[in-house]
Amino acid sequence: MSVQRGLGPASVTERRREFEAALGRTAEARSQEAGVALERASLWRDALYRFAANRAALVASLAFLVALGYAYITPWVDSADPYFVDFSEQYRPLSWAHPFGTDQFGRDLFVRNALGARVSIEIGFAATLAIMGVGILYGAISGFLGGWVDNVMMRFLDALYGLPYLPFAILTIVVLGGQATFWTMVVALTVASWFTTARVMRGQMITLKENDYVRAAQALGARWYRIVFWHLLPNTLGLIIVFVFLELPGVILGEAFLSFIGLGINPPKASLGSLAQDGYAAFQTHPYMIAIPSLAIGWLILSAFFIADGLRDALDPRTRG
Amino acid sequence: MALLEVEDLHTYFKTRAGEVHAVDGVSFSLERGKTLGIVGESGCGKSVTALSIMGLVPPPGRVVSGRALFEGQDLLQRKSRELEDIRGREIAMIFQDPMTSLNPTLTIGMQITETLRRHLKLTRDEARKRAVELLEEVRIPNAAQRLRDYPHRYSGGMRQRVMIAIALSCNPKLLIADEPTTALDVTVQAGVLALLRELREEHDMAMIMITHDMGVVAETSDEVIVMYAGQVVEQAGTFELFDSPEHPYTEALLAALPQIEGEDVRHSRLASIPGRPPDLISPPPACRFADRCVYASLEDSCTRVLPELRELRPGHFVRTAHPASERAAAPVGS
Repeated sequence: MSVQRGLGPASVTERRREFEAALGRTAEARSQEAGVALERASLWRDALYRFAANRAALVASLAFLVALGYAYITPWVDSADPYFVDFSEQYRPLSWAHPFGTDQFGRDLFVRNALGARVSIEIGFAATLAIMGVGILYGAISGFLGGWVDNVMMRFLDALYGLPYLPFAILTIVVLGGQATFWTMVVALTVASWFTTARVMRGQMITLKENDYVRAAQALGARWYRIVFWHLLPNTLGLIIVFVFLELPGVILGEAFLSFIGLGINPPKASLGSLAQDGYAAFQTHPYMIAIPSLAIGWLILSAFFIADGLRDALDPRTRG
Repeated sequence: MALLEVEDLHTYFKTRAGEVHAVDGVSFSLERGKTLGIVGESGCGKSVTALSIMGLVPPPGRVVSGRALFEGQDLLQRKSRELEDIRGREIAMIFQDPMTSLNPTLTIGMQITETLRRHLKLTRDEARKRAVELLEEVRIPNAAQRLRDYPHRYSGGMRQRVMIAIALSCNPKLLIADEPTTALDVTVQAGVLALLRELREEHDMAMIMITHDMGVVAETSDEVIVMYAGQVVEQAGTFELFDSPEHPYTEALLAALPQIEGEDVRHSRLASIPGRPPDLISPPPACRFADRCVYASLEDSCTRVLPELRELRPGHFVRTAHPASERAAAPVGS
């Protein structure tokens, strides 16, 4: 008894009462909280924070937006007609009237580069989306079904892999009629570069299909396509988003190359590649004509690449290097 | 007619070393509204038995022979499309690990309504209403709100309740629970088991409870099958089995249960069964438990011939040459 001096019996009971009251309060609070959702901190918001914290990715996004803005706003604002031929204005150097100079027909290159960038970006995104579509479908089915189906599909892919990229694209354009329009370019680029996406998707599917929820879904009667497209594809969404921006630079570059060698969009329309081709004819006397479209290509590719890098880190922090 | 009759089921897995006889001649039957417990250690074939019935044996596994009559129809002869319609509708299954059995990218609501819309062809709104009811039935508080949550906001016990809700959503006639409480805390276990038992009665389902936990069996099952190395070694009513186990393996299993009361609690070591189960690639033509059996000696026939599953008492089957009630003397070497 003497041990408890200073904490008389009264104070002990008092403390105990306090403690119990506190317990009661928390129990009450808990029962109120039970089932009430906490503040939603979603994966996407987390990813956004991480992306915003990545300076390179942020600058790249800004650069990409600037490029988009230049490509889409300029033709509206600038009164110069991109197709107006004026031989008195040939090969004008950079000036306020023509910020990027004029070409051999006296056309304003500021507007023409904007239109060219627009074509490049549009073909780039359209082809990338097509690549994603084909690659995801092919890879997902191959990986999920497995067995001999997978074997046949992958060997076919290996055979295609052996074909060199650009000749394959050129061949596709030729097969499609030899006339390069927007859509033949998209098809050609897609045909030539959907393999990697398919392979990566297949790998993802093989890992994902081992998940218990796949078994659970099967045990509840879900069919295979339901499992692939409803249960598994959303799990690869992060990867798909990253892949869009990883695939984009290659496609833009591919388009530029095809245009440069004369298989691109038909004149008087232009893409960045065909503008560079025009500039190539006069690069010793008027270097800006080739420099500007080339820099624009580099600008787009680099910013897309850094965005992809930032997205990858943001969506899957474990792989941050 | 029994709801489910499994006859002489054989499921083998092809491996490089040979064919593993994972399930080797399992037979049992289950009446409507009854619960059958299947117990045995890891790798004894209890889960593969269940997966065979469902038609979900993963490759390289394959049901080699046998029948599984569900309401008189052999499930093993059904086309995979027909099986897909039966799974989830007539027979549902819940799995061991609730943490991974739900898809992390879909909301709980989406995952419950998926099954309802698939099998019962409900509209979105009907399915949603039913999903709320189901969640309330498995006692998730605030069901209507929690439907919009993703699985990571649910605890393990709650996720298993959700799995139960999904399994019950189409009022199946048979629920196969594959170690439903193994991954849960003991306190949560008790809650989930009580819920399962209650819902089983309400929905008048039959249930197969697969577990390695004798306590779970005792609490849930009407009848118990003890499996060892791919075979049924003992089958009896639950009370009968716990009161008078006949197979040396069952006895050893029961002896291995930790005791928390009784006289010699503090002094006894936790009992274990020495040895390992036999290689199932080329199982010996003998009693598969012979190597570990304290009653078997080399001169016994059971080291050369596989004993038949015989009915020792009405409803009590056992596969051993040395059932407890026929043993006269003390075991060899004890």
